[in-house]
Amino acid sequence: MKTYNGMYLMGNHPDEDTFVQAAVRGLEFFDFLEIGLPFSDPVADGDVISNASNTALEKGVTPDKVFRNIEKIRTLVPGHKHLYVMTYANHVYFRGIDTFMEACVSSGVNGIIIPDVPCRESVRFSSVASANGIWYVQFITPESSREQVIEASATATGFLYSISVRGITGGKAGFSDDILDNIRIAREFSRVPVVLGFGIKTIDDGIKSLHSADGFIMGTRLVDMLYSKGLDSFSMFISELSNNYSV
Amino acid sequence: MYTMPDEIGYFGEYGGVFIPETLVNTLNELESAYNFFCQDNNMQDELRQLLQHYAGRPTPLYLARRLSEKYGATIYLKREDLLHTGAHKLNNTLGQILLAGYMGKKRIIAETGAGQHGVATATVAALMGMECTVYMGSVDMERQRPNVSRMKLLGAEVVPVNHGSRTLKDAINQALRDWVTNCNSTHYILGSVVGPHPFPRIVRDFQSIIGEESLTQVIEQTGGMPDDAIACVGGGSNAAGFFHPFIHSKVKLTGVEAGGRGMSDGDHCATLTTGKPGILHGCITYIIQDNNGQVLPVHSVSAGLDYPAVGPEHSFWKDSGQVSYAHCSDTQAMRACVELSRLEGIIPALESSHALGYLMEHSEKFRNRTVLINLSGRGDKDMDTILKETGL
Ligand SMILES: Cc1ncc(COP(=O)(O)O)c(C=O)c1O
Repeated sequence: MKTYNGMYLMGNHPDEDTFVQAAVRGLEFFDFLEIGLPFSDPVADGDVISNASNTALEKGVTPDKVFRNIEKIRTLVPGHKHLYVMTYANHVYFRGIDTFMEACVSSGVNGIIIPDVPCRESVRFSSVASANGIWYVQFITPESSREQVIEASATATGFLYSISVRGITGGKAGFSDDILDNIRIAREFSRVPVVLGFGIKTIDDGIKSLHSADGFIMGTRLVDMLYSKGLDSFSMFISELSNNYSV
Repeated sequence: MYTMPDEIGYFGEYGGVFIPETLVNTLNELESAYNFFCQDNNMQDELRQLLQHYAGRPTPLYLARRLSEKYGATIYLKREDLLHTGAHKLNNTLGQILLAGYMGKKRIIAETGAGQHGVATATVAALMGMECTVYMGSVDMERQRPNVSRMKLLGAEVVPVNHGSRTLKDAINQALRDWVTNCNSTHYILGSVVGPHPFPRIVRDFQSIIGEESLTQVIEQTGGMPDDAIACVGGGSNAAGFFHPFIHSKVKLTGVEAGGRGMSDGDHCATLTTGKPGILHGCITYIIQDNNGQVLPVHSVSAGLDYPAVGPEHSFWKDSGQVSYAHCSDTQAMRACVELSRLEGIIPALESSHALGYLMEHSEKFRNRTVLINLSGRGDKDMDTILKETGL
């Protein structure tokens, strides 16, 4: 199977131009982009992404402002590169699930990822997503039972997010048996790629991920690099990734 | 019969389990442990013994004569301030530490605002010989300093939280981040009727002893039902436990939130008056948020009420009209604190002073009525703030 690798960037962070350019540059290597909408209480995120979220909020970033740049990115990258919005449940619920999905459709978003909606609460979101042609990403974790993995695999669209560790973003990736076993089960039942995320920071982490999963997601490392070292370093790192994973 | 929450953790529209997938089985395990507790006589007996001999239950229901005389009502105070550690919080932590033991957890974490829940958690962790970490916003560590020292003395580690508003909301965020990382070894003793299912149910049930005792005591003392029951609402645990046995009665129930400095954004935490439904800390409930769905900063002179959301059952009670929700300002609460101290020789916590302040401000509504007020805690912890605000 072809690999399906993704990157995470915080929407409009560190500024709108840098965000758009990084997205376009990153998608020369990556197959999909997750775009974070800043939220005041990002409980699934570690310091780097939480701080990015806070900084964005302080600068007045709103979901609508991010959607406008997603629209722009959509016109700058080929259609087989996928765009996912990643945000907390309150954004979707508060705006109205219908209205939110419509905003996704009109800005060219392909899928949605909500880290504080577990599978048991997902139907109210996934049904509306599906009615609008938006993919709904489910999660598996080291804690998931076989039945839970099968259920998530059966309902996931876009891709299946397998969380490498018990924890939040920005930690150290885990490749323990409990997640690797679950990935094996998921790949048996899932019609979409099974992608490993949380803590994937180095070329080596990525290579390890690809031994068992269909792809990996890099977030914290890229958000940090873009913020503290700038677009040139980010761009060099993307080249490095391209060289290391070219088939 | 009252059967909320339903089997998937909802109080009507409110509640649910909005947490990262990683915690789903941890919460299922907690629910199973609680269901076991509910039908296990040994565990229930152990809790009863602890509540009686360790914590000092039942707490008195006290007819406050001078207060009653001055405000023209018959006012009874439910004396949770006399419970061990000085607030109602221990009812819940004693219950949850037994669940933690049953689940084989070795480490306890908690969030705290006023520090009362932190102290009550550190206390039960010491009692059971468990490791304990308490997350507390750095703003709250400053204004509730005596409680920080108490937690340390009890052997807990107090971790300052410097994110966001550096108060209760951010302490909960940090505790959730710890829990999702350490879910196998750790039980999170959540301190109010907030968070994902089954917490709102478990905490309400453990706090319901307040209402059950009050019901028995008021009938014993007056021969009938009261007209009103009033409690302050932060997350809403003392109010939920106090109201619960009265929910289908004719007793008029009033929850009092913090009106802070006034009704502008950022000046208060009157969630049920000004908030809108949203999702925070694991459940659907009323939240104080802006038009983009960002949780707004809030303010109260009392750290235990300084929270931009409220338990989902209160949201349900608000919509159904079973409970009325009002607010009381910083100044009114402070005045009530001084008033009770001087009329009755009881120094109430600033949280509880909001319930008293509401009664005092609206005494015309309560004329000749029998009113129960839940005095959720004592005011020793607030001495710095009280001295500063009153200039005593
Ligand atoms: C004495 C006292 N009363 C009330 C509260 C508010 O919490 P809740 O609304 O959960 O009872 C607190 C919280 O710290 C408290 O310490």
